[in-house]
Amino acid sequence: MTSTAPPPVGDLSPAPSPLHRLARSAERVHLPPQPLVRNLIFFVFGCAFFYVLTVSVSAYNDFQIGQIALYAVVLAGLSLLTGLNGQFSLGHGAFMIIGAYALALLQVHSPMNLALELVLATAVAAVAGVVVGVPAARLSPPYLAGVTLLLALGLPQLSAQYGSVFGGEQGLTTTPPIAPGSISSEQWLAWIEVLCALVVILLLANLVRSRFGRNFRAVRDDEVAAAVAGIHVARTKVLAFAISAGCAGLGGALLALSTGVVNVGEFPLSLSIALLAAMVLGGAGSLVGIWWGAIALVYMPTWSTSLSKQLSLGTSASAYLSDAIFGVVLIAVILVAPTGIQGGVRWLLRRLWVAITGRGSAGAAGARAGPLGPGSGAGSAPGAGPLAAAEVAASGDGVPPAVGGGPRTTRVPDDRRPGTGTPAADVAETRQGGERS
Amino acid sequence: MGFFVDVLLSGVTQGMVFAAIALGLVLISRATGVINFGQGAMGMFTTFLAYSLLEQGIGYWPAFVAALAIGFVFGALVERTLMRPLLGTSPLNPVIVTIGLLVVLEGVAGSIWGNTARKFPAGFSQRGLVIGTTRVAFSPFDVFIVAAVLVLVTAIVVLFRWTDVGLRMRAAAFSPEVARLLGVRVSRLFILGWALACGAGSLAALLVAPLSSFSPYYMDLNLIYGFVAAVLGGLVSPLGALLGGLVTGLAISFAGGYIGSDVEPMAALVLLLIVLMARPQGLFGGTMARRV
Amino acid sequence: MLRIEGLSVRYGAVEALQDVSFEAADGVITTVLGANGAGKTTLLRTLSGLVRSREGTATFDGQQLIGKDPETIARMGIAHVPEGRGVIAELTVADNLRLGMLYRVPRPERRAAIDEIYGLFPPLEARRHQLAATLSGGERQMLVIGRAIVSRPRLLLLDEPSLGLAPIVTAQTMATIRELTSRQGIGTVLVEQNARSALSVAHWAIVLNLGRVVLADKPERLATDAHLRHHYLGF
Repeated sequence: MTSTAPPPVGDLSPAPSPLHRLARSAERVHLPPQPLVRNLIFFVFGCAFFYVLTVSVSAYNDFQIGQIALYAVVLAGLSLLTGLNGQFSLGHGAFMIIGAYALALLQVHSPMNLALELVLATAVAAVAGVVVGVPAARLSPPYLAGVTLLLALGLPQLSAQYGSVFGGEQGLTTTPPIAPGSISSEQWLAWIEVLCALVVILLLANLVRSRFGRNFRAVRDDEVAAAVAGIHVARTKVLAFAISAGCAGLGGALLALSTGVVNVGEFPLSLSIALLAAMVLGGAGSLVGIWWGAIALVYMPTWSTSLSKQLSLGTSASAYLSDAIFGVVLIAVILVAPTGIQGGVRWLLRRLWVAITGRGSAGAAGARAGPLGPGSGAGSAPGAGPLAAAEVAASGDGVPPAVGGGPRTTRVPDDRRPGTGTPAADVAETRQGGERS
Repeated sequence: MGFFVDVLLSGVTQGMVFAAIALGLVLISRATGVINFGQGAMGMFTTFLAYSLLEQGIGYWPAFVAALAIGFVFGALVERTLMRPLLGTSPLNPVIVTIGLLVVLEGVAGSIWGNTARKFPAGFSQRGLVIGTTRVAFSPFDVFIVAAVLVLVTAIVVLFRWTDVGLRMRAAAFSPEVARLLGVRVSRLFILGWALACGAGSLAALLVAPLSSFSPYYMDLNLIYGFVAAVLGGLVSPLGALLGGLVTGLAISFAGGYIGSDVEPMAALVLLLIVLMARPQGLFGGTMARRV
Repeated sequence: MLRIEGLSVRYGAVEALQDVSFEAADGVITTVLGANGAGKTTLLRTLSGLVRSREGTATFDGQQLIGKDPETIARMGIAHVPEGRGVIAELTVADNLRLGMLYRVPRPERRAAIDEIYGLFPPLEARRHQLAATLSGGERQMLVIGRAIVSRPRLLLLDEPSLGLAPIVTAQTMATIRELTSRQGIGTVLVEQNARSALSVAHWAIVLNLGRVVLADKPERLATDAHLRHHYLGF
């Protein structure tokens, strides 16, 4: 920080003095410095918010809130996988299936405490994640996309093949939890789902700030550099995949619980793709953005039904329309706004912060914008996509933001002109030049 | 014995279709490193357009050729509008966009034509040929499938090996910057590559449609089998795609014939994982190192 | 005749070239020297259209180069041999050479043109059907220079042709370049870090430092001026 000459004694104008600056920088970290403490505070706020919300709306809305929460669980895992670790899955619907069937089979064969059942269903899906993750760790994104796509298409058909175990076309039924006292069953279910979502997000937000989170990012940014730095790349990727699959499994189990039945017809390929679209829409790597994505997932059928009515497309078209909208969202977000909704929100908040305070302390705005861990920065180049910005982001500077770069990211010269050479080569050239000369 | 032969022959027919899809994937992948997951849906869409033309009373062959042409133009348009802006960004972005394309096209096709299973006519009889005294599961239309794909692969090989355009396409694919310094207009060749690839994808979709009923989703599994075939073939050469297609077709046909048709996708997944783990350069790939 | 006037290029905040002006005549080798990061490669990449300049002009035989795309510039007869990675490893030696001729040599003359290159570089003929990936470093250098020459260029832009080569191969390469330049009357801009060997073949030398031309003189003068050598050339 460059220091200017101290103002004359007695000058009370708010001109920047070293002392003043110090005060300001202290102000900047007015949030509890411990991420765990901070995340816990947001957790408590989240619980309170959802409690007030669920008791003040109708039973049907409670059901929808629960759905949003369970999709938030799935998206949290997916967002971690793509945004933080640079991996990619088109098959998270398959892990939802595994979680859902695990829960249903447990309830049929050896019913126990619901919490234990959910933990076990999560564990089963996580183990499946390890099985897929071990080969997946060696694959680059396009291949991983192919493998997981095949999983999403192939796994549902196994339930038909082994109908005696999985109930074939009809699937299996689950036992809904019994609500205590006068609480409606929808509300009780919503509470369970919201609690699961908040706990998962709390755990992930702490994970993001831990050694594991740093390893995830290091592997995402540069596998070779990470390996040289002593990080076990394959193990890190498998861990990320397993955690992500576990989240999807928990989400699937909660879905099975809330609908009362499990059958593979509920998990078509389009669900896996919609999950990806919702994650990208919210902003890859952002634990706040997933809520936007989850809301979109739950309300899209309603919106598309009304849209198809307006377009007078006939009733059967609305399901297709919702798929098509997710596809358009996927394309549009990548091409136009790669940091997703949360990226835009962040950008707005930062602008607002600067406008109100007149200070360019983007860091403070960034820290405030995202409860429960870092979100995606908004400062990335348009058209760069969720991962490009991450690749540009300088890693290892102590506060590496999630995908999308962030306020403190140093940007390399950006001359991504269409049709003129490879920018990477130019950039590399300047970098090398700078180092060597 | 008869059953074995039938499974074998239907494996060959399916394998040819997978080879055509794999060829389309290879053409794009080796030029730009992108796996076009939208290719199957693009083929599906052009097949629906051909179906609409047939309903208008236009003959089979004009509709067939029109669909191929539409697929060709479609591929060029997609490259120009959706892929070009993403050139030079993370390889994940174009892949996500092609997946977006997949669901958009399926959604639009579903909205227009609905999900009723339809029958697409075949250009030739679909009754099995009689060899000696037994009727085998290999019809004149299957012969046409095999012939069409062989012609396609041969044409692509000739184009690449013996023409200036093919040389330019290879140069543009392997080393775009050097190619530009030699005067090759790389961006135009990418468009041509996408056009050819999507033409091949449309051919595959037209050929496979009559084999069973067709709906907006009928290309999903075929595309992914084509992907398996392309990876088996090493994702670089047209001949690799052909051989990869045959192996995949036979593997799936035998898995389906002897275990059950519902395990076919998982059999393909197992095959894919084994190949990716044991021989990442593909069964028929050369010595060229490839990161998967 | 290549004429560069007031050329400036920047990457973001970094000034890669600032107000660079010089001329490179036909039939002679103009060498551009300087340490890493001096802007030598940027200069060539700007001339061949890969990098966009901020200011200034560069004309070749009166035709403006700035603002044209690399393909057009290549087809004008300006052959840029990039540093290190010029061969297309996945193509055969013969295909690499064929690529050089696509736009500049009429079809009937191609066979003779390619045979001429094989005469110049016999090892290439022996390996004509091998993939360029299998070539040694020296052979690759032959291939890229041969591919540039077979295109019948009017201007050669060579980026570090001696990089990674054994001294004896470097000497041979330099001799070949000098012979071709004067025999065919083409202009050659030779970017080199290996100042000693570049100065031994060049007719004119430019020294770049941090993006600026700090010196333009006869190579003999540079080679003998200990002060200059010490400051800019490191030997």
